[in-house]
Amino acid sequence: MIVVKSLTKKFDDDVILNGINMNVKKGSIYGIIGPNGSGKTTLLNHLVGVYRQDSGEIVINEKNIYDNADQKQSMAYMQDEIYAYPQYTIKNMAGFYKEMYKSWDDDRYKKLKEIFDIDDKKRITKLSKGMKKQVAFCFALSKTPEILIMDEPIDGLDPIARRKLWNVVIDDVAKREMTVIISSHNLKELENMCDTILILDKGKSVIERSIEDLTQDVHKIQYVLEKPELEDELIGWLNVISKEKMGTISVIVVKGDWKGIEQKMNEYNPVVLDKLNLTLEEVFIHEMEGLGYAIKNQTI
Amino acid sequence: MLQIDYESRAPIYEQLVDKIKNLIVKNVLKPNEQMPTVRDLASNLTINPNTVQRAYRILEENGYIYSVTGKGSFVSEKLDLIKEDQIKDEIGKLKVVIGRLENLGVHIEYKIKEGVDEK
Repeated sequence: MIVVKSLTKKFDDDVILNGINMNVKKGSIYGIIGPNGSGKTTLLNHLVGVYRQDSGEIVINEKNIYDNADQKQSMAYMQDEIYAYPQYTIKNMAGFYKEMYKSWDDDRYKKLKEIFDIDDKKRITKLSKGMKKQVAFCFALSKTPEILIMDEPIDGLDPIARRKLWNVVIDDVAKREMTVIISSHNLKELENMCDTILILDKGKSVIERSIEDLTQDVHKIQYVLEKPELEDELIGWLNVISKEKMGTISVIVVKGDWKGIEQKMNEYNPVVLDKLNLTLEEVFIHEMEGLGYAIKNQTI
Repeated sequence: MLQIDYESRAPIYEQLVDKIKNLIVKNVLKPNEQMPTVRDLASNLTINPNTVQRAYRILEENGYIYSVTGKGSFVSEKLDLIKEDQIKDEIGKLKVVIGRLENLGVHIEYKIKEGVDEK
């Protein structure tokens, strides 16, 4: 169990994290999304105890993480950019990690190397971006971590490597209840993979909710009323987030329980009434629009 | 055995529940047959194991499967319940078609026996 309370961090005068709250259950897959520069990587750096917060708390298994070497042993952090000494081969680096971490497992490392088809005689600095990611993933998982934290893990990976990565993660979540925290911009994959999503914006946690609540609490509805003049009255009853009109067809995005919404809409005799669940990407865009990130008609 | 539409807007657990129900109703998965483990199914489909767990929980609540501690999940033998569910489902579909025909001005008189529903 990971609990973050009112986490705040400033670098000089810039407030990077501003009162973040998080609750991550053991064995869950937790996704962090947010616009560029919203503080995702800084937050992850706090979770692994690399940065020390100005105020607030990060409690992992009932203990503060900063300076807690024992807890750090059971965590793996796959950073967006892997650090390696210039002359080091993959094999050298694996040896380095083996020295560093008590829980390093040579058998696991060997299996992971096979899965990802890694030639460990290569120098890390010579690898492509996607290859580096796969190597970093193998290093992280060779520790048999209790908590796996990944910053943009699938960015730059080909579809097959992505599949492989997820399958290893899934196996460890199912087999030994590994907890996973992922930041990514690939909302489709997060939607399929995560239990809970945290949306960050300008260092604040905007939303933390289970994926079902997020995507099924918001509906996109297309309708045409028999009496269009009653439209404003109908809209007044609903919690409408956005509204568009294409000819006689209205498209609205509404929050709330679908059964209640449907019942209300049916009172107004719709000639056409279609409902779509929103995807995580659409939810994200709508939430961000609410925070002033409107997508304008952009021409240069 | 199962296919998930990753592009669909329907939640994955819901797709799983529907597909498995279908396999049970069609007798592809037979009474008392062991269901794949959560881990196998999750790996196989590359989805979150907690999603599979959730689907299994719903199937168990609806009486389609039962679980034996330490052994896993099995297909229920109470086929009556399942059949009733299927009948309701098919009648529902039929009523949609009848509704469409009526909208086109075709008057239909019908009666459904077996005491499930009547009009």
